[in-house]
Amino acid sequence: MTALLRYQSGLLLRSQRWLAPLLLYVAIVGVGVRAGEPVLGALGLTAAALLPVAAWSVRICVTQEPPAARNVVAAAAGRGRTHLAALLTGTAWPALVGTVAVLVVTALSDRRGVTALAAVSTGVLAALTCALTGAAVGALSSRPFLPAPGWSLTVLVLGCLLALVTTGSPAKHAMTTLVTGARTATAHPPALACAGALLLVAAAAALSSRATARLE
Amino acid sequence: MRLERVGRRHGLRGPWVLREVSLDLPAAGLVRVTGANGTGKSTLLRLLAGIDAPTEGRVTGRPARTAYVPERFPAALPFTAADYLVHLGRIQGLGRAAARTRAGDWLERFGAAGHARTPLAELSKGTSQKVAVAQALLADPALLVLDEAWTGLDTGARAELDTAVRERLTAGAAVVYVDHDPRRLAGEADALYGVEAGRVRPVRETPAAPARPLVRITASGSRPLPARLPGDPVAEPVPGHDGRAARRPPGEPGTGLAPGDDGRVAHTAAPGALVLTVDAAHSDALLGVLLAEAWHIDHLESEGVRV
Repeated sequence: MTALLRYQSGLLLRSQRWLAPLLLYVAIVGVGVRAGEPVLGALGLTAAALLPVAAWSVRICVTQEPPAARNVVAAAAGRGRTHLAALLTGTAWPALVGTVAVLVVTALSDRRGVTALAAVSTGVLAALTCALTGAAVGALSSRPFLPAPGWSLTVLVLGCLLALVTTGSPAKHAMTTLVTGARTATAHPPALACAGALLLVAAAAALSSRATARLE
Repeated sequence: MRLERVGRRHGLRGPWVLREVSLDLPAAGLVRVTGANGTGKSTLLRLLAGIDAPTEGRVTGRPARTAYVPERFPAALPFTAADYLVHLGRIQGLGRAAARTRAGDWLERFGAAGHARTPLAELSKGTSQKVAVAQALLADPALLVLDEAWTGLDTGARAELDTAVRERLTAGAAVVYVDHDPRRLAGEADALYGVEAGRVRPVRETPAAPARPLVRITASGSRPLPARLPGDPVAEPVPGHDGRAARRPPGEPGTGLAPGDDGRVAHTAAPGALVLTVDAAHSDALLGVLLAEAWHIDHLESEGVRV
């Protein structure tokens, strides 16, 4: 699996396809977060913006290889494992970027009433929740389920919107925790939402990895 | 490796490409798949290589080390040829140093060593295909699946791929291939399957005119030889081997060709010396085995073309 992750990361980083989602993320966070504003509200935006970015990044990773190259790797390592490696790569890099963003935003924001540690742990859990939910949206809205790029992108954008506003979505739950926390200046790390997002993305990844050798 | 009533269709409601395919493939040996365009040969190979899962039925006993070469490899990947091969070698379980060494060796064998540092996207079609073939041979696969892998290769590389296939067979691997050139490895396949209208049936190979040159190898040695030699040579004792034995340097082990302790059967014959007659196509592989078993090659001659 390590070799597959290294290969997928190599593909992503060297192809410069990572640049567009990263720019989107920097733009949203850069415009939306002002230095000196209350930390929990700022972290809420930092985490929420990660959801579409993670979904996009997962879609990039599962579609970045030409079919011939994908087949060659699938024969060597198994079709399901290959697909899982692409999903993991597409999730791990945005999660890393989100963690860095949480650290930067915490350092620049007004932390009155909240310790730095509480702010960072709350922010990182919220960012992970959003990244994992976004990854699940990305996995379910691209191949093998929706190979056509038009449908895939439409469903991806709609899925991201719904994941951010629908009650019951782990991302929405984490956002609500942060927003109510910001009003009272109390940090509640959204651990339950993060666990829910983990379950969601595990189910999406298992479904999509199993389906890839059957549907395509 | 076994396929039990395997069927495959594209997507959930697509037309069936293959149905009711039941095959029992040997763990070692050469298997040729024939059929017209669009009959499902490539689908069968993809099922064998584990790239596609069967829609119905099941495939069991696929070796873990499986490698696949597609017909065309237009890989617009952001790696150089050597870096790509190192990645693939590591995915196939090699260490970094071993992967790098073998990548260099295989590119060299196929005459593409000069392109090791060229980005894949800039390679010509033929050189891309050489990279595709090299990745499959990196980690000594136990099952090698070649889907018209020779297409696009130059003459030297085609011959090299033939040799590599024979090396894999000698090492006890299974090789399954499709090629539209009927002369490709003709007469060497252990099993032949024809794909027609979604069904797969065993085919009897049309007896090729035995117009192939034979090579006679006279060799001597004391170690028992493997039971199965490349090309299944006809082994005979050296006629009037006294004169030949006298020529052998004194003190050399020249007797004792008994079946080995490890169960390997010697080609029993006159003490020490054998004449092995084999297809010219297999002679290199056979010589390799003989030398690896520390046998001496006393004499080598070509029998010319038998018509």
